[in-house]
Amino acid sequence: MDRVRAAFEDFGRMILFAVEAAAWALRPPFRLDLVIAQMAFIGVGSAFIVGATGLAAGMVFSLQMNYALKQFAADGYVGGSVAFSLARELSPVFTALMVTGRAGSAISTELGTMRVTEQIDAMESMAVNPIQYLVVPRILAAILMFPVLTMVFNVIGYGGGFVMGVYVAQIPIGPFLEHTREFMEPSDILHGLFKAVVFGFIVSVITTWRGYAATGGSRGVGEGTTRGVVMSSIAVLAADYVITFIAVGT
Amino acid sequence: MIEIVDLWKSFGDNHVLKGISLAIPKGQTYVVLGGSGSGKTVLMKHVIGLFKPDRGRVFVGGTEISSLEGKALTEARQLFGMVFQGAALFDSMTVFENVAFPLTEKRWRERPRASEIRERVVEKLKVVDLGEEVLGRYPAELSGGMRKRVALARALVSDPQVVLYDEPTTGLDPITTDYVDSMILNAKRKLGITSMVISHDIASAFKVADRLAVLYDGHLAAEGTPEEVRRSTDPFVQRFLALWFAKQ
Repeated sequence: MDRVRAAFEDFGRMILFAVEAAAWALRPPFRLDLVIAQMAFIGVGSAFIVGATGLAAGMVFSLQMNYALKQFAADGYVGGSVAFSLARELSPVFTALMVTGRAGSAISTELGTMRVTEQIDAMESMAVNPIQYLVVPRILAAILMFPVLTMVFNVIGYGGGFVMGVYVAQIPIGPFLEHTREFMEPSDILHGLFKAVVFGFIVSVITTWRGYAATGGSRGVGEGTTRGVVMSSIAVLAADYVITFIAVGT
Repeated sequence: MIEIVDLWKSFGDNHVLKGISLAIPKGQTYVVLGGSGSGKTVLMKHVIGLFKPDRGRVFVGGTEISSLEGKALTEARQLFGMVFQGAALFDSMTVFENVAFPLTEKRWRERPRASEIRERVVEKLKVVDLGEEVLGRYPAELSGGMRKRVALARALVSDPQVVLYDEPTTGLDPITTDYVDSMILNAKRKLGITSMVISHDIASAFKVADRLAVLYDGHLAAEGTPEEVRRSTDPFVQRFLALWFAKQ
């Protein structure tokens, strides 16, 4: 019972932390240089792993769809179904999970180490608000870069699917592209990008909070990082379901 | 300069401070001695507003810092410099960036020009006997003693009225400990700074203190000049000091 209560208290404190971060984001000084540095870390630094995952997902999904659809002589629809699935589901979710593993864990570890070595207290003692200095740039950078990385995933994933579909599965290029155009609407891309924005917010709030609230030395930092990654991954999957349910219903 | 009135603080069932009262006059060095886990750091963090008391009040320069929040608290903290136990230098920044941090993060109207920031950083590093060759180094490339000196330079760079030292000599060799003690005395003599030092290093405490207090079980077991504390009849204080005086 105590553990349940502690979990709810921790959740409540995290919500207050997010509200405080939102309030500090609107107050000067606006540290654009820190936001850009975090955009480079979260965005540029994650581009390779996101691209590689996108390529693998697109290639595999294309082969699987070809295997399934050719049984109905509908293999021309592979391109459309790959693009549609990537844009609405696979790209935002896989991107969020990969960036959580790479950048989210690093954020939790960095802030957790700063907390247990009193660097955050030192910052506060020098009249600098650590939420504004450390947390706000990371949240803003994640909100801005998750959609960009999702688009990277979309493009490379579709490219991989195209290569597999057209050159390996020998689907004629005409129907592959034509059915992609037929299936896809700009709203499908926007649906995925909206998810990416939400996931960026969720992952950055959870991972910064787990670092910021770390206690108990290196063990506490390790536990905080693990909890940050696990909680972020579960929250992304839960949020994906909720957004999809609201958007498309049953 | 600093006045603490009937300060109480608990963390859950752990009652750390139980009605602490003390006063630190301007320009004096006040040392709080106590064993590990006695609540010394908690006491110091109340002075700079990092903790809120459960009961009691903390005044700094006539302002009740324990009642301040947000922007007012941030502004009040500009009176302080603080040297943390482990130095608490920012790992990702060079020595220059660390020492300059309190200046570069001032609001743009109050922020000195880049050339002045550099001058002040170099000047404060000189105060702690460090030259320009360390400016580009990262904290990981410095020895423990050098890190403490950089932390002191950072605490002094914005010309604070009060410097708080959290265990400044812990983990240092005797020569560096003596050096850090001299730094604390110099900061008081040359800059007229009011200092509060938290320590369990009895030798250092008696060397730098104008006044001393011994914290035990949430209370001040003894308080006064070093000589008065030395003559205290409190059993804990006698036991706490006995080992060191026996060695003298």
